[in-house]
Amino acid sequence: MKQFSGIKYRPVCLFLFLALSIGAGTVQAQIPRRLVDPGGPVDELFLSQNIVVTSSVSNLPAGNLNFTIMHVFGRVDEGVQSLWGVDGPANIRFGLDYGISDRLSIGVGRSQFDKLYDFRFKANLLRQSKDGKMPIELALKGDMGIMTESNGFEFSDRLNYLGAVMLARRMSDKISLQVSPMISHFNTVSTEHNGETDMHVEEKTHFAVALGGRILVNDRVALLVEYIPVFGDRTTATENAFAVALNIETGGHVFVIYLKTSDYLTEQHVIARNSEEFFRGDFRLGFIINRVFSLN
Amino acid sequence: MMVRSTAEILVFIAFIGAQTVAGQSWMTQTGTVEFISSVPFFTFTGTSEHLTGVINLADSTVDFYVDLSTLKTGIGKRDKDMRLSLDIKEYPFAEFYGKLITDFDRSIPDGQAAMVEGVFTLHGVKKNVRLSGVLQLIGDQLVLDAGWDLNLEDYNIVPPKLLIVKVDEIQKIRITATLDPMNSQ
Repeated sequence: MKQFSGIKYRPVCLFLFLALSIGAGTVQAQIPRRLVDPGGPVDELFLSQNIVVTSSVSNLPAGNLNFTIMHVFGRVDEGVQSLWGVDGPANIRFGLDYGISDRLSIGVGRSQFDKLYDFRFKANLLRQSKDGKMPIELALKGDMGIMTESNGFEFSDRLNYLGAVMLARRMSDKISLQVSPMISHFNTVSTEHNGETDMHVEEKTHFAVALGGRILVNDRVALLVEYIPVFGDRTTATENAFAVALNIETGGHVFVIYLKTSDYLTEQHVIARNSEEFFRGDFRLGFIINRVFSLN
Repeated sequence: MMVRSTAEILVFIAFIGAQTVAGQSWMTQTGTVEFISSVPFFTFTGTSEHLTGVINLADSTVDFYVDLSTLKTGIGKRDKDMRLSLDIKEYPFAEFYGKLITDFDRSIPDGQAAMVEGVFTLHGVKKNVRLSGVLQLIGDQLVLDAGWDLNLEDYNIVPPKLLIVKVDEIQKIRITATLDPMNSQ
């Protein structure tokens, strides 16, 4: 009872009075502003789902449908007579990709060369987070191509594949880098002979490590570079592919203008069938148009 | 004895006061914000389910905000355009803080017209506004439905362009929320 004497009791009551008053007062004060997901995924590592030829780790949001037109002209070194390759033989690929979830997309495309249909998926296993708890982005890609050119091949002979692991990081507001070990495989390849000598030997399987980078010029414009060195056995005269590109984003469109080696437009073909060397001047002009629609 | 009684009375008054305020406060963190944007030939809608706010009938305080990064239009690229236009890195919230200036009778079960007056802040620009809506007490929950037109120019926001087509400056805003009594949270 002693502790409840008037002298000690009064401060306790005053404390309670103040606490309750302040407690009531906080209801009237502004509620603290909090971000819903401060550690969420970082914004676009790349503006589109491709760097140039190789896929980027960027995936489509759930319910988004991306329509792509990829076009590559003839070689620029054909000169002014052919308008730097514009008159030359061109390859074109139409593609549709759909975001099943924010981390998984599927797609289909059709290229003019080989009358190739390709079916693909991309899955983001890890997302780089704003709070740095996850420092990288990790994605897998698979692609199966079916050559439909009339040539008497069996169905299984017409198939080719790509598998890729994409590791990327947005290093800063401006710069993103990506490394992509990948493997391409063709069920059927050919070898040309000149008497007893093999003149041209095609390998069925190629290993490569694609390197890609992006520099944002501003929020809607980016410069990209891509280099795809092949390791181990390779098809005769195959060169490492190289490309540079300019991305321009306008609303639901991403336009890409590029200079690249190879007239193929799928990764497995570019790895295995590129005979052009960028720094010898063997490159081509091309463009990509991406248009995103919502199916939500 | 007199000292003790006075102290007890103060505590009692404060306690009753706190209960009264808490008993007349409602809160939500899952309200809906919707905006409708027009461009020539079509409209699109952006939605967030993260409207957070408090309505306190004891002192008529109304305090709401939304994390603008949670607004989704259905197309990722369009969301990015919106985030750039709103400059949400610099100004992550849209918020209103003000007072309910109409009476609200808790004994009436139907929705009642309500008007608030206060400061609406967006893109770092503060504007005194007067907004109207409907408040309804359903059980112990307070249901809010309000809408108004927002002119992007008033908040120094340049409407984004979809290719060459410019989004209309007037955005139709609607907020709906079911607020729970704060003493039950």
